[in-house]
Amino acid sequence: MSATGRWAAATMGMRNDPAVAAAVFVLWALLALFVVYPLAMLFVRVLTDHGGFTTAGLAAVLFDRHQLRAFRNSLLLALLVGSAGTVLGFLFAFTAARGRLPRGLLTAIDAAVLLPLVSPPFTTAIAMIFSFGPRGLITYDLLGLKGVTVYGLTSTLFSEVLTFFPIAYLTLRPLLAAIDSNVEGMAFSLGASRWRVFRTVTLPLTIPGLANAFLLLFAASLADFATPLILAGNNFPVLPTQAYLQITGLFDLRGGAALSFALLLPALAVFLLQRYWVSRRYYVTITGKGAGQTPFDSIAPGMRTVLLAACAVVALVVVYFYALLLYASLVVALGANHAFTLQHYRVIFTDGLKAIRDTLIIAGLAMPLGGLYGILLGYLVTKKSFAGRRTMELVSMINYALPGTIVGIAYLIAFNDPPLELTGTALIIIACYIFRYGPTGIRATVALLQQIDKSLEEASQGLGAGSGATFRRVTLPLIMPAFFAGLGVVFIRSMTAISATIFLVSISWTLITVKILENITELSLGPAAAFSVLVVAIVFVVIAIIGRVLRLFRAPGAVPMTSLLGG
Amino acid sequence: MIITRCLLHRAARAIAAVPLLGFALFAQLVPSPAAAADTLNVYSIWPENWARPMFEEFEKATGIKVNFVRFSSGEALARVIAEKNNPRVDVLFGGPVETFAAGINEGLFEPYKPPSFASLPPRFRHADGQWIAIADDPLVFMSNDKFIKENGLKAPASWNDLLAPAYKNMLQMADARTSGTAVTRIFSVLEINGRDENKAFDYMKKLRPNVQLYTKSGGGGTLPVGLGQAGAGIFFIVDALDTKAKGYEVTISFPQEGIGTAAEGIALLKGAKNPALGRKLIDWATSPAMQGLFAKYKINFVPAHPDVALEPSLAAVLKGAKIFPIDADYAGANRKRVVDRWIAEVLNP
Repeated sequence: MSATGRWAAATMGMRNDPAVAAAVFVLWALLALFVVYPLAMLFVRVLTDHGGFTTAGLAAVLFDRHQLRAFRNSLLLALLVGSAGTVLGFLFAFTAARGRLPRGLLTAIDAAVLLPLVSPPFTTAIAMIFSFGPRGLITYDLLGLKGVTVYGLTSTLFSEVLTFFPIAYLTLRPLLAAIDSNVEGMAFSLGASRWRVFRTVTLPLTIPGLANAFLLLFAASLADFATPLILAGNNFPVLPTQAYLQITGLFDLRGGAALSFALLLPALAVFLLQRYWVSRRYYVTITGKGAGQTPFDSIAPGMRTVLLAACAVVALVVVYFYALLLYASLVVALGANHAFTLQHYRVIFTDGLKAIRDTLIIAGLAMPLGGLYGILLGYLVTKKSFAGRRTMELVSMINYALPGTIVGIAYLIAFNDPPLELTGTALIIIACYIFRYGPTGIRATVALLQQIDKSLEEASQGLGAGSGATFRRVTLPLIMPAFFAGLGVVFIRSMTAISATIFLVSISWTLITVKILENITELSLGPAAAFSVLVVAIVFVVIAIIGRVLRLFRAPGAVPMTSLLGG
Repeated sequence: MIITRCLLHRAARAIAAVPLLGFALFAQLVPSPAAAADTLNVYSIWPENWARPMFEEFEKATGIKVNFVRFSSGEALARVIAEKNNPRVDVLFGGPVETFAAGINEGLFEPYKPPSFASLPPRFRHADGQWIAIADDPLVFMSNDKFIKENGLKAPASWNDLLAPAYKNMLQMADARTSGTAVTRIFSVLEINGRDENKAFDYMKKLRPNVQLYTKSGGGGTLPVGLGQAGAGIFFIVDALDTKAKGYEVTISFPQEGIGTAAEGIALLKGAKNPALGRKLIDWATSPAMQGLFAKYKINFVPAHPDVALEPSLAAVLKGAKIFPIDADYAGANRKRVVDRWIAEVLNP
């Protein structure tokens, strides 16, 4: 049996198929090792002190009125980021999928949208301070305002929405593209107005995607600590930052971990809510009954201009931020000496070369494994029934929902001692990325599979194709976009994440993002900006390649979504 | 159609091959506990551009190569605590002594008294040798020239100057939860108020409306002050002089009432894999051999060893400044309580 056949059999299989059982077993083993075990170890550490069980001191930390305020702030911020980011992502996805834009414009929008997603976490925050601080380029130099304060909810929200809305865009765009526009066309020809078609056909069909996008953004904001660390200021504390400060500032690992565990509750609550809400609706639009494409023009020309203008404004803000970053990488010292120099690039390609190499190796390995993990788990929990299916889905989301600091510390504690001595290796960083960022691929797979009618697979099998062949020729092409979305996100995150990995880098393996943070703390804005520009460039090249490969999968009957990632 | 099928087939095969490839590569990624006989592993709290030249000089002097990663003091300590049962490094290098004091409570260090121990003043060494100081770092006021001029001020020369309404929302300084700089600052305020806590806290509460941001790291506010995003702040002299050296137009000044200073330390970790080499680094770092090199690499720390002369330009900056050490016993005994009170009354009133 070929490797292909074996793998396909393992994932496809029928009910009670031993191959499915094997795949489920392997996934459980991996989840146990890289999600449950580290957290359990951390939990034990929280509840013990000098060898004995104790909860002393934890209540004081958890129910402190400032921590409660931080908890409320975190929820508020996550709700706002989730809603605003989903709306913005939908705006872009809808315009891109339905706006009949020329190819060049589409690519330009894609590129601008992806910028915040592919850059290291501190960059938007720093650009915000440069632009909107008391002496900011926009607030002071342009508008002449004095005494403005940049720190607080508004700028944190603004920065997080800009950073995270591409996740919503990536989730929603393939979904919108996959909705057969014939359905919309039919409603229109039956006399519904465009607005009514949008409200009663398009929007309901997008609900699983919207729910997914909201969940992903909510969780991303809940777990984000880099942006609030720089922008939240003193009057808007949030929990991930508080947990980080509790650990690295007050040296209270137990208290910090306890605070982070508090974040699990809202993350899981949103997840369950979304499952319950989404699973009651019916979304199948990809059936075997294909029809000729008679594309329906779902946006009125006037509306199209409005949508495009809205997208253009957001895209311009993003481009402005990154132009500033590029500028900072090319001058001696931003704000002090604006003479042109390539010195910063020289520095990163000499002193920083090891970090660049290490990062590329790690991201290059985490990417395929994370993508594979995403579709495998997503496929199994959606299409196969086995005991503990829901639990598996839930467990797979945990590392995504937790603040990175905690995942990092948990890994460090769990894998520092024999027999699982992984600290100091690349493996620990790779595993962290796979299980922390793979869930995007899982969610994308689940959302896509919910759109595929079972009859497609049944027809294939009815016509005599084996389960392996059916998976390979029917299901696989249909979920390929999710695989590549997962692939893309894991790679991007591997290049840009910091909160977890700051605790996992070692003498042998270091990362570009850690170098960036270090440069920022050392006031070396130039090298930090140069590193960021490099990261953005690398990610863009890789994503362009993914886009090309993805185009090969435009199989007959499959979803035409060649430009999922801007390829 | 056939082509598509063929491609799909190939792609599926490629995907199937990924895990195999992965496992093959993992074999290489699993650790080879980098243990050449003459290699020492270090977590450095000093930034890389200061630590690297020091370790290169150390290698030149002794032939011992130093592998290091740089972390902020809090991150370094959190890691060392998490790795306590199986330490990954031998030495914790640099960082304020109070970070080391927190480490002693966790039982992290192996006491060691290097040859310089006897020549150091008591405040530059832990009595049992749990840590030894390698440098001293006074606090300073740093203000943005343009801001000062625009507001018709003079560079602040007294703690009370910072209370002026012109500074409203324009000061940045470190957060006492995360930064040794902040703790040193708070104890400075206590000291100039004759350790009258209520008086000191009255001052800090009055200062609060002028503070735009309490930064996570000690030097976090230097760039904003350099850029004019903030008007002034209180920082360690190394960070302030670094900002000036980068070309930002800032002025360094000292309050007439005096200001505190904090030592930077080094310590050997308990359970270190290369303790002998670690001791050699401590011997070297606590002696004039290393501290005499600060000037050469423009590291603006004040050397801890009495035999090393202060570099002239640094001496010029410090001339006439009233600087006092923070009493380690008093600070150690009251730190937690004072920081808690600061959080409750100043940070979150």
